[in-house]
Amino acid sequence: MPDDLPQFAQQVREFLDAHAARATQPAEFRWGEGDDHVPYFSADPPQVEEQKLDAARDWQRTRYRCGFGWISGPPQYGGRGLTPVHDLVYDSIESQYDVPDTGTLSVIGLGMIGPTILAHGQQAIKDRYLPAMYRGDVIACQLFSEPEAGSDLASLQTRAGPAPGGGGWILDGQKVWTSVAQHSQIGMALCRTDPDAPKHKGITAFLVDMSAPGVDVRPLRQMTGGSDFNEVFLSGVLVPDDHRLGEVNGGWRVALTTLMNERATVGNDSSGPVAEALTPERLSALMRATWTWDDRALRRDLSELLADLMAARHLNARALRRMQAGVAPGPEMSVAKLMYAQNLTRAAHFVSRVLGPRIIADTGAWGTYAWAELLLATPALRILGGTEEIMKNILAERVLGLPKEPGIDTTSPFRALPKSAGGAA
Amino acid sequence: MNDSKEDLDDLREAVREFLGAKSPETAVRAAIQTGRHDPAVWNQMARQLRLPGLALPSDYGGDGFGLTELEVVLEEMGAALLCSPFFATVVLAAQALLASGDEAACQRYLPGIAAGQTIATLAAAEGNASWDPAMVAARAQRTAQGWVLTGRKSFVIDGAIADLVLVVARSTAGPALFAVDRGAPGLRAEPMTTLDPTRTMAALTFDQVPAVLIGTEGQGGALMSRVLDLACVALAAEQAGGARRCLEMSAGYARTRFQFGRPIGSFQAVKHKCADMLVRVELAEATAREAARLADEAATDFGVAAATAHICCSQAYLFAAAENIQVHGGIGFTWEHPAHLYFRRAKSSELLFGGPAVYHERLLDRLGI
Repeated sequence: MPDDLPQFAQQVREFLDAHAARATQPAEFRWGEGDDHVPYFSADPPQVEEQKLDAARDWQRTRYRCGFGWISGPPQYGGRGLTPVHDLVYDSIESQYDVPDTGTLSVIGLGMIGPTILAHGQQAIKDRYLPAMYRGDVIACQLFSEPEAGSDLASLQTRAGPAPGGGGWILDGQKVWTSVAQHSQIGMALCRTDPDAPKHKGITAFLVDMSAPGVDVRPLRQMTGGSDFNEVFLSGVLVPDDHRLGEVNGGWRVALTTLMNERATVGNDSSGPVAEALTPERLSALMRATWTWDDRALRRDLSELLADLMAARHLNARALRRMQAGVAPGPEMSVAKLMYAQNLTRAAHFVSRVLGPRIIADTGAWGTYAWAELLLATPALRILGGTEEIMKNILAERVLGLPKEPGIDTTSPFRALPKSAGGAA
Repeated sequence: MNDSKEDLDDLREAVREFLGAKSPETAVRAAIQTGRHDPAVWNQMARQLRLPGLALPSDYGGDGFGLTELEVVLEEMGAALLCSPFFATVVLAAQALLASGDEAACQRYLPGIAAGQTIATLAAAEGNASWDPAMVAARAQRTAQGWVLTGRKSFVIDGAIADLVLVVARSTAGPALFAVDRGAPGLRAEPMTTLDPTRTMAALTFDQVPAVLIGTEGQGGALMSRVLDLACVALAAEQAGGARRCLEMSAGYARTRFQFGRPIGSFQAVKHKCADMLVRVELAEATAREAARLADEAATDFGVAAATAHICCSQAYLFAAAENIQVHGGIGFTWEHPAHLYFRRAKSSELLFGGPAVYHERLLDRLGI
């Protein structure tokens, strides 16, 4: 553990005291009072979303100005030159203050793509983008998944070929499930550059200017009715060669850097409206309000649900304590992600059983039909950030040492692999 | 020793090494055959590792560590299926004495427990199998010569070999704790046939047995609430350790057993079974260790954490022990394979303090909802 942490923590507190208010304790829960929405995905109208984004950028600028914009980043790009443990310390202290949510900037751009540019970017690109990103001026998105490359990301088909006359690359293809693309100035795209090589060995990574001609961002409407992701169409997009990350056909290594930096955001359920809705007080109040309090079967379901919610919280708490002590994380984060998806799904269905017909039609009663929002979001949780099946493969193979499924897909030329019927060419 | 991870790792390593040598499967099976633990191992555990006194206060001859350290020891004992009066003596009886707040009784009994000289147990449940002191029918009467107990107790862990039996019995003031020495006139112990042969149990009959009141009359309700919270965490530690061992057995077998020309662990149906076990085991460990930590901090939400650990570890162990047999297939169903010993321990542990019929309501009660 770095020994300057107490002084650092003191600086963080001084900074936050000077620029933000302490978070107020949430008011004691009373049935029928306050906002009853249980949104997993954002439910803001566009103008509200825009205001929140402005506030997020402002807060990131303030952090940057005061030396907390990129705590573990190198000083020549505006970083503080400290360790990831300092990041954790900052995060845990900042969570005690009332500050704008900077997730739109930080989860993908600052958390994953920044470190990738740092590790694999060419000098001019690092100089140009890294300070701008951590100053809150440039937002980045991740152009990875495709309609034909979901769990099997390495089977992506977006093509990149040399631009006629040299000087760059031409990109053609379609990306999907792209978060924050509508707000992004740059995107990190994985493209097929050698279809005759095995699938992992013919991929190259690029940084794409999202305002370049041929980049078309379209909102993707998901089953909740909202649009929290995008499709991104790339049609003849010209990318200069200095925007290439890593070697030609070395993009898989670059992608692994990005994925390794994926913070455990998906499994973290300690705050936010969903966590607040799934407390013992709130759930028991719901049972009282619906006169199901003494239903033995429901009481048992409630206990099982609460036990698993608390177990997941204990697991997170222990993982966090270990990381703060500088111990490498174990399988806790993957386990937490799996459990988060299962627990929220079970919670939504438990609440449905408690509500009965009140969740199939809106009676107008507070805290009843509002749960439909969570119910409709839960199927996504077992898919996004790695499907349940893939997460289990990873746990079994990396933690338990079980062998991979044998297959030819990693050794044959990508061109020769069977593809879905009707998939993109 | 403090809370630091290295110290706990050293403790775990020492206990694991000791149990690897002293409680291999052959020793477990020998104990099952004879129906009793190996006294030589019990003595070594006390003298060499000082385990019985590890988490007892130094005022009473212990080493003054907490439940955090004891939890590590119990995980390893659960993993090794150690046949030993450790749980009954060090967890049930010693914690009942401490919870009674009876200074004289602690001075009298705990040093013997800490030194490994006294085997002790707690007799609470009766024919109806309930650990709820409100359900106790055994009677305590004050006579000119002192207290005498009359009634029957069942499911008394190591009840046939205990030197000291702590009994929950009812006086006119309500339930309370009493101490009875082995060999007291009127006490009869009958071993019970158990689903789990690695944990022996007895039925005790009390016929005007002289006894000593521990603590105060009518205190049994609060005392048992505290003891059950602690016992649930200790049991959870054993369960987490046992579940982890089942997972290791399954993963090891799935890596090395070949069918259809491949290790069976390369098939997703088997791989995902093992991943599901891993998820439950990680959660179980987290709840058991967190509950132990909260006990040592005397945190207000310890009761909630204890109930949570009891539920999660019960479910995890049963799941892991049952799936372990399935991963092994036919060989896992044989008597000679140890999988059934874990299955028996898992089922028996889940239901020891009442099982789902009781533990869900206990969690809701501890949550105050």
